[in-house]
Amino acid sequence: MAVASLAHDAHGEADQLYIEVRELRLQGFLLFLISDCVLFSSFIFAYLYLRNSGQGWPPPGIHRLDVPFAAWNSVVLFGSGATMHYALENFKHGYWMRYVWFLLATIVLGAGFLGGQAYEYTHLIYGEHVTWAGSGIFGASFFTLTGMHGFHVLLGVCYLTTLLLQSAAGVYTRGKFFGITAGTLYWHFVDVIWVVLFSIFYLI
Amino acid sequence: MNPAVVERSGAVVAGIAVAVVSFYSLYKDWKATGVENNVFKIMLFLLGLGAILAILAGLNVIGSAPPSKGA
Repeated sequence: MAVASLAHDAHGEADQLYIEVRELRLQGFLLFLISDCVLFSSFIFAYLYLRNSGQGWPPPGIHRLDVPFAAWNSVVLFGSGATMHYALENFKHGYWMRYVWFLLATIVLGAGFLGGQAYEYTHLIYGEHVTWAGSGIFGASFFTLTGMHGFHVLLGVCYLTTLLLQSAAGVYTRGKFFGITAGTLYWHFVDVIWVVLFSIFYLI
Repeated sequence: MNPAVVERSGAVVAGIAVAVVSFYSLYKDWKATGVENNVFKIMLFLLGLGAILAILAGLNVIGSAPPSKGA
């Protein structure tokens, strides 16, 4: 009886400890996202300042970017945000196979977005001769910001693939799945940054 | 068919689907509390906003202005 009571208390303490550690992890992860937001913001405001102090935009000799393709590619990334949200929801409710399919769809859509960006870069560099170093402020800011974002997407795809493998190995349970929550937060963050980049590079 | 038309159509159709899903998820989670759920709500709203921007770009409503002349 006493042994059972002690085991119950130890179990309760472990759960309480997990809840406290989880809160700290969440705060730490949100601080990381905020710091990443500051990084992007500094580049975005530098770009906007340079853009508005120049001789018109895009600079003479450079065509407007391909808006229809960018809109399509953006929807691919935004769609991956929706599938990731449903992956988390399905995991929370214990629908394992749905979780796996939605997570796989997110990874595929993320990789698709990267493929689209690679296509756009190829078209710009070889078709229009726009380069990072040789096209002034336009090329430098475009490739720096979209490249930095693309790197984040690449890291996200690797992260989500790791989550999938960890989930298959039974690392996460219905009560303990902070890694999946953090992955969803990160993926939404990457989506939201693209909303801003899509607007400032293609729409205004 | 012109590739731009295919891309625009795809952006509009898929954009509508993403916007509906985002705002529906936001509606469903509206009463959820806690830091992470509130962050998710903000992110879902911005995701829906991004999808609407993509729809408008696909419809050629925005993103088709001529190059600016500068100051």
